[in-house]
Amino acid sequence: MRRSVAEMIVRDPEKYAHHDRVFLNNPVVMQGMGLAPLVVLATTGKNALMLAVSVALLLTPSRMLACLLSRAFPLRDEQPAQEELEKKLLPRGLIYSGSAAVVYLAVYPILNALFGVDLLALGIYLPMLVVEPLLIYRFGRVQETMQKAVSKGLRITLGYVLLLLLLGCVREWMALGTVFGLPLLSRPVLPMAGMPAGGFIVLGILCAIWRALAQHRKNYLKTEARNTVAVHHQKEANREHE
Amino acid sequence: MSEVLRAVGIFCSYAVLAVFAQSAVFTRGLGVSRLVQLVGDDRTNSWWFALLLCVTQLLVAPLAFYAGQLIAPLANRAQLRPLVYVACVAVVCIFEHLVLRAVKGPRSGQLLRILPVAAINSCVLGTVLVERTQSFTLGQSLGFGLGSGLGYLLAVLLVTEARHRLRSRAIPSAFRGLPVTLVYIGVLALAIYGFTGHSVIL
Repeated sequence: MRRSVAEMIVRDPEKYAHHDRVFLNNPVVMQGMGLAPLVVLATTGKNALMLAVSVALLLTPSRMLACLLSRAFPLRDEQPAQEELEKKLLPRGLIYSGSAAVVYLAVYPILNALFGVDLLALGIYLPMLVVEPLLIYRFGRVQETMQKAVSKGLRITLGYVLLLLLLGCVREWMALGTVFGLPLLSRPVLPMAGMPAGGFIVLGILCAIWRALAQHRKNYLKTEARNTVAVHHQKEANREHE
Repeated sequence: MSEVLRAVGIFCSYAVLAVFAQSAVFTRGLGVSRLVQLVGDDRTNSWWFALLLCVTQLLVAPLAFYAGQLIAPLANRAQLRPLVYVACVAVVCIFEHLVLRAVKGPRSGQLLRILPVAAINSCVLGTVLVERTQSFTLGQSLGFGLGSGLGYLLAVLLVTEARHRLRSRAIPSAFRGLPVTLVYIGVLALAIYGFTGHSVIL
């Protein structure tokens, strides 16, 4: 572990974890964003893949467009005053969802060319992505810079796509005994996993396992960082002594 | 007279269908991200949130019905759907915002803060998309919109009611919060399937 990273973790471990949108602060597992498509649609690896491509094409561009347009109604504080919220929250919300809907106009033909009629399997959940908190949650938060919009957009996409594919494959394996159509079991172990109720339960259990592993990783990183900083301090002290 | 009774009957039956058999949260997962955030949010009153969502769904239904008819003959209607229906939601939101600003009650400030969160929601857009995908008539759309909002209110009440139990120390720490809430919603959804059977029309 590099010294700068170790010092950052020792100084503020939560801040370090907050930046990791893939594992330690996954948008689904830690904040419960984008649950509807996960629970209802991510029943097979193929569905999950189509959703993953859709989110990847929609999320970052729409966030960039919304970041640009929402500068007309910026929220300047992390804890804005009630009056500011009353005035700016609605226009910001409409800008964020409207931006996603505009980007959807360009994304839909691409998805259609990639997946053809299979896209119909996503039903209402594809157009519904434009109001998913995963894409529009920033409307209630402080105004971000374009650089942050791009960087966070890409990291959140990666975290969401990872969980989407994992859940899609696990549910397909449980409900049908296959993964991406390839048979792995002679018969399904839990057919209920293919239903929304099963989706809630499987996702809940997956979240619990993920959270336990993330906590384990956080503790490990903290210990490692403390040891790394201590070693560097010791080396510096030795050098001064010599 | 019989026409009026028939229209009322259709409205009520679609409302009941949306509350139970086609519940927004339990069978379609609509607005579930907002629901689990609402459970841990002590600043937002669940009743007011669900009420605003209900009113928005009821008002959006006729607008979306006519907008849907306008874009139906277009070749690129699938591409235009979210933009058109988000525009309908925007019109209703602005109207509600103006009404709340004009009627200066003791809760106006709180409602103005909750309105965007309740209205720009996958439950609202999802319900509109279901209505249009299944080509509901105006009466059916209104009934389904209201019923879907009431179904969401029922889900909010069921989940917020259980939140003290869901925070129990008896629950393993990894399951506390979001994971156990999801498992709880899943079990409730199973109970609903027990009454109504299960089918999701995408």
